[in-house]
Amino acid sequence: MKRLIVGLAVFQAMAGVAVAQDLKIGAAFPLSGANAEYGEIFASGANLAVEHVNADKMLNGNLVLVYEDSQGLPTQGVVAANKLINVEKTPYVLSAFTGVSKAIAPLGTRNQVVMVNGGGVGPDLATLSPYFWNVIPLANFEVKTMAPYLVKDKGLKRIAMIYVDDPLGDAALQEMKAELKANGGELVGSFSIPAAAQQFSGVAARVRDTKPDAVYIATYGNQQVQLVKQLRDNGVSQPLASYSAFSTPSMFKLPEAEGAIFTSQHINVDNPDPRTKRMVSDYRAKYGKDPNMYAINYYNAVLTFADLAAALQKQGKPVTGANLLELRKNTPSFDFVGAKVSFAEDGTVKAPIQVNEISGGASKVIKSAQ
Amino acid sequence: MLYLQLLVNGIQTGALYALIAAGFSLIFGMTRIFHAAHGATFTIAGFVFYEFYAVLEWGLMPSILACAVAAGLFGVLLNRWVYVIIQRHEGSFFTVFAASFGAVIVVQNLISIVFGKGMVTVTTSLSRSVELIPGLYVAPMAFIAVIAAIVCFALLHYLFTHTNMGVALRALGENPGLIDVFGLNPKSLGNYAFLIGSVLVVPAAILTAATSGLNPAMGHHVMMISIAATIVGGVGSLRGAALAGLLFGLAENLSLAFVDPQWSEAVTFIILFLFIIFRPGGFYGRAIVS
Repeated sequence: MKRLIVGLAVFQAMAGVAVAQDLKIGAAFPLSGANAEYGEIFASGANLAVEHVNADKMLNGNLVLVYEDSQGLPTQGVVAANKLINVEKTPYVLSAFTGVSKAIAPLGTRNQVVMVNGGGVGPDLATLSPYFWNVIPLANFEVKTMAPYLVKDKGLKRIAMIYVDDPLGDAALQEMKAELKANGGELVGSFSIPAAAQQFSGVAARVRDTKPDAVYIATYGNQQVQLVKQLRDNGVSQPLASYSAFSTPSMFKLPEAEGAIFTSQHINVDNPDPRTKRMVSDYRAKYGKDPNMYAINYYNAVLTFADLAAALQKQGKPVTGANLLELRKNTPSFDFVGAKVSFAEDGTVKAPIQVNEISGGASKVIKSAQ
Repeated sequence: MLYLQLLVNGIQTGALYALIAAGFSLIFGMTRIFHAAHGATFTIAGFVFYEFYAVLEWGLMPSILACAVAAGLFGVLLNRWVYVIIQRHEGSFFTVFAASFGAVIVVQNLISIVFGKGMVTVTTSLSRSVELIPGLYVAPMAFIAVIAAIVCFALLHYLFTHTNMGVALRALGENPGLIDVFGLNPKSLGNYAFLIGSVLVVPAAILTAATSGLNPAMGHHVMMISIAATIVGGVGSLRGAALAGLLFGLAENLSLAFVDPQWSEAVTFIILFLFIIFRPGGFYGRAIVS
């Protein structure tokens, strides 16, 4: 009996040593609720990155990604981030959604935990905190590309805008106002919708009343799909335009979304560098389709951690948020899938923006990035 | 013209809200069980219809039948296997509510697993609106929604006034204690209340599938409207809940002529607050003996 207990204790100690070496990073994604579709897409990229990091043995120990559900809501995001920071003790957290990111950024600053966003595009995200990094170009770049495309390339000067009543929508509205003015267009109407709204026949009636040349939509998740369908059902036949949030399978599948245009960051999936090739081919093999920019962004976010953590481990330094930030500032460039990028001082990356059109259930590039 | 358009939209939305709220009100008024999973019944009905009609292509009538069977079965089984058992032991209001809420979460996640987390729609040309007169766009769905609501309420009225079971259900709602004295079984009457209340979501679920689309998380909004409409209409009154649902649909849409769309949800709750303050019994409220 005594031998059994001693044996178990030794075994426990050994197992304990192996677990202590695991490096944990966290992710606060919408895993349920109206925006859960994004959570699935983000996770597909992040999980593939974790697989690759562990297969390549880039780090001393296993890389483990711990998920918490933010539901895409700021209050839930704070709960999720608190759990990751205080219970799971992750030095690096993947974030998404402008509202959630703004809510959890102070936690990162206070606890010196790096938070990386690869999905939200509100321009405020650039100035949240030195610990808050963005691997996705923010909406100001997207609107800066779409506004001149609509006004100058397509001759659509009168724009009506429907935006969600939250930080992203508000930021998009400010950008659109400024950009339309600068390019000779006119914002003929702006309509704010509650984030949980599902009926839009009334909004469609008001949009029709303004007689716009085109309608710009700034929302996300299931709401944007419902909005597009109901706009078309209620007599709004003008061209629809939006930003990168349109890149979801449900939007592409919606028959009423045919012909809608949206901006997105340019990612060259045919880039010949080994990281890109491996990510794209493994993703295709696993999911049967090309990775979209969200999957790629979160893949890049995890690999950024792996690159920085591996370097810190080589230098014999502990992998903490403060050390990760310090090292990132001193790293000139990172090999992201699709391009080599550098982080600006405020933790954002610049990437060229392209214009896409939804056609036949998929998207095609109609104006490539400059 | 904007007002007329918003009025028409309001009637269409109101008809759907009235149907859903009436189902919840029936269950709550008759059995005193806060069936928060009514939103889950709505979600199940919508997705079952989508599966049978759009995916398996069974045809309209069989799909509607399958949808009704699924909704009714869910309501009755939830009552028999969860609510009745809780009530047998302790029966506290909050225990039942917590169980109901738990059912909502389970259903939402099961549907996400089976159908994915995104939005699906049933594509039909009936949801496309036609310009009847310049500036007024109405879809055939609007007429179908209103006719379906009228037919359902007519059937309910007949059921409650001209059939034994309907009268027994009304008795159950008014005085559950006295039911036993008259030799009626409150448990089996409760099952009937759940069956009828759950099947009432079917027209609204089908119409929603064709107009706004379905997603696993859509039950919450529906529940809020049902609860608000039940309170505003008066607990126990189907007519009241239906009228309140219609009122909310109209208010939500007509308010768009005066305020920004972001306030349209607030309008529903402002009406609720006004009723709670000035007429807590609702439209057709009556004193409840408890």
